[in-house]
Amino acid sequence: MTQVNKTNRRRFLQASLASSAALLAKPASAQEVVLQPARSTGRTIFEAGEYGMPSEFATGSRLIGSANGLHGGARTPLSESHGIITPSGLHFEVHHGGVPDIPPHEHKLLIHGMVDNPKIFTMEDIMRFPSVSRIHFLECSGNGEQEWSSPSSPTTTVQQSHGLTSCSEWTGVPLKMVLDELGIKTEAKWLLAEGDDSSRMGRSIPMWKVIDDAFLVYAQNGEFLRPEQGFPLRLLVPGFEGNMNVKWLHRLELSDKPWWTHQEVARYSDPRPNGKKVVFSFYMDAKSVITSPSSTMTLNGPGFYEITGIAWSGRGKVAKVDVSTDGGATWQEANLQTPIFNKAHTRFRLPWMWDGKEATLQSRTTDDTGYVQPNYEQLYALQSPIGMMHNHAIQSWRVQQDGTVINVHHV
Amino acid sequence: MSAHKTLKLIGFVSIAISLSFGALFASAQEKFGFGKPAHPDEIARYNSDIHTDGSGLPDGSGDVALGAEIYEYQCALCHGEELEGVPEMGANSLHEGRRDIKKLPYASSLFDFIRRAMPLTDPGTLSNDETYGLVAFLLNETGVIKDDNLTLDAKSLAAIKMPNRQNFIIDPASRFTAEDLQ
Repeated sequence: MTQVNKTNRRRFLQASLASSAALLAKPASAQEVVLQPARSTGRTIFEAGEYGMPSEFATGSRLIGSANGLHGGARTPLSESHGIITPSGLHFEVHHGGVPDIPPHEHKLLIHGMVDNPKIFTMEDIMRFPSVSRIHFLECSGNGEQEWSSPSSPTTTVQQSHGLTSCSEWTGVPLKMVLDELGIKTEAKWLLAEGDDSSRMGRSIPMWKVIDDAFLVYAQNGEFLRPEQGFPLRLLVPGFEGNMNVKWLHRLELSDKPWWTHQEVARYSDPRPNGKKVVFSFYMDAKSVITSPSSTMTLNGPGFYEITGIAWSGRGKVAKVDVSTDGGATWQEANLQTPIFNKAHTRFRLPWMWDGKEATLQSRTTDDTGYVQPNYEQLYALQSPIGMMHNHAIQSWRVQQDGTVINVHHV
Repeated sequence: MSAHKTLKLIGFVSIAISLSFGALFASAQEKFGFGKPAHPDEIARYNSDIHTDGSGLPDGSGDVALGAEIYEYQCALCHGEELEGVPEMGANSLHEGRRDIKKLPYASSLFDFIRRAMPLTDPGTLSNDETYGLVAFLLNETGVIKDDNLTLDAKSLAAIKMPNRQNFIIDPASRFTAEDLQ
């Protein structure tokens, strides 16, 4: 309080001095250079607060969608994102029963089932294990579902069509290391991961994936997880659909068979054109999208523009991104930002001289397993358009002659 | 330092770390020793999940009439009087699309989900009898088992063969085999 009063008093004094100086000043002669006055002091260090906030002029905010406030989520502003890391406060979210904020000293992780010695870990226990930090994307398999059959609208933005993917540095403990403490029985083939939100969200995860690279995560981008990201503990299953990366993780059960939870059979499964429904389709396949220029942007006349966007694959590293400005007739290889991380967003950039004519922009990635991102025609052959999950088709943005950009399907 | 060299260095460091753990413990049996043993009672308090063979289903039973009563005052507000769904409340139809109850592969998935997550604003408050009753009501209402007197318990629920079961397949592009699923 004292500091604020002092500040106000000083400001008043400065203001008075400035006005008396103005009264005394003589008119400047023609030769005299009048220096641009220095900027005022702005907000004080105290006003900046103990947790820094973005500028009030900085654009880019999450787009929230929920009918009831408990089930639904928020999308990342991809066209206003730069590089590969998503700020924690702009990470996408999908919730099934609200957002608990769990006191870490109360939180426990129970691990039981097909283990030699079932155990309960406190957060203190978990943080005593040797830690790892890794950069990984996280994508909801429903990302792009409304674009499946036809463009939802010409003015659908990249945030609306692709905003359920984000990328962070995650810190935690390899799950295998923790499970080895208990002794994994040889017949254990599946793991149930359950959250401590009101919906007790549960998913079955194959043990080979658990052993390979799943990890328990308590920190994101250098700070503790946000409640919306599962504070104090979440599971990360790199490259698998977002729903499996269970937040507020409180229970792991090992079994010889999967659970076929409601999440798995009713929501996160994919109808095929032959009427069959695929369950346990976990991989997020190679995908990319141009984030600029993208729908609702306007190019200010012909000339130089950078085409940029992100590419990622749940099966490995991005090997290549090709960009087309003529709807896929010809392709040019884009520059990839290095280092390229495994199962992580990869920024691509391509310089482009726009000639002022209509242009259809597309990006197509290939991952290091050789998987090539399909166009819609190719995707329809693999999956039924009513499926809607795992839409990883090539996205098209059309730059119109007046410079406006719209969302289109262009096979 | 080039990115390539950096990555090489990271690779070297991670090898060094794994080697150092090798040296940390004299034998494979030795552990960090973190965490406390979980008592069976404590496991039982949280172990609510149900397998497709019905293992994990609790005691109790419920019939269509009980389920209809519960549905009316716990579910209809969002899911609609006729299970048609009330989109403004965030619920889709239970007769068609992804939430189509007829299309579920196992009745256990339905029981598990209702007990785990419903009603949305107050999950975990339904009794076992009420949950069995709701499953009976929903299966009758959607025509899976047309029987107004249907009563379900652990044994009868586990015995239900859902009509769409054979249409569920595993992803041929993934590394799963039929043996993984049993």
